[in-house]
Amino acid sequence: MTKKILVVDDSKTALMMEREILERRTTYQCVTASDGREAVEKAQQERPDLVLMDVVMPHMNGFEACKMMRQQASTREIPIVLVTTRGEEAYMEAGFQSGCNDYITKPIDSAELIALLQSYLGE
Amino acid sequence: MNRDQHKAFGRTEADAMNDLRLGAARKRLAESQGQEDAIDAVREIVANFLGSEELGLFRVDRRSSALRAFWSFGIDLEGYDLLQALGDAGLERVMRGECHVELAAGEHAGEMGRARAFVPIRVGGQTIAILAILRLLPQKLDFDGADMELFKLFSDEAAKPLFGPGAFGPDGPGTNSDSQPVTEGPGIRA
Repeated sequence: MTKKILVVDDSKTALMMEREILERRTTYQCVTASDGREAVEKAQQERPDLVLMDVVMPHMNGFEACKMMRQQASTREIPIVLVTTRGEEAYMEAGFQSGCNDYITKPIDSAELIALLQSYLGE
Repeated sequence: MNRDQHKAFGRTEADAMNDLRLGAARKRLAESQGQEDAIDAVREIVANFLGSEELGLFRVDRRSSALRAFWSFGIDLEGYDLLQALGDAGLERVMRGECHVELAAGEHAGEMGRARAFVPIRVGGQTIAILAILRLLPQKLDFDGADMELFKLFSDEAAKPLFGPGAFGPDGPGTNSDSQPVTEGPGIRA
């Protein structure tokens, strides 16, 4: 069965790029959201196998969305990978505190991203 | 897989990634709707693909050749001396249409040794603006060959989305009503 990934970013460029990588280089299905609030809703509706989510977004940031997904039974177990420009330890720690499973920094390396996704979803 | 095959695979992977990046950047710029969205596109491309959140855009006045800060993100350009940063040779290079790229001089080199790039935004064989990428994110150590291709894309394809059809008019830049300066607070978004 095809695995589904919810890609969340307020940047059209990042969404475009991540979608392209997933569609051209993997067999995963891709659904998108453009802020944290929409991500929480889409996660409940779509039940993705993994969420790949930016941190700094309007309306609700990635940390808050991550916390909300962890509070809801239907999304509690979904692996969440946060994507950010900031790689400082304290910032990453805040991400893990919010409940994310992993972190990847921008600029995204496609090979690194695919390997990370495969570690959660298989090839 | 032997070492040569590994190298070839690595190169193919890097080439494919570069093609994806260029394609996405080109599409984003071409599909931008109006100046504000085009500026967003530039900011997003620089942040997501080049790894910088300190950038500025300077317009070149066609009549006086003066440079003026037009927009910035993550850095306050008030008092920023582009001419000093570029130097005479750098300015000449950029006005000629070449990128002026300074690679990082090593992790202990300090402010002066950090990577920077000045990219001419061109139309009709003229440099009408300069995109200055002033600091890379800590995880991005330096510019690489693929980044040069993105610089070229900005140089060749960013003028129209950023400054509208007026950038192509007989009087050149500065005559388009869509070319008002945009001010964006530093570091507001990432």
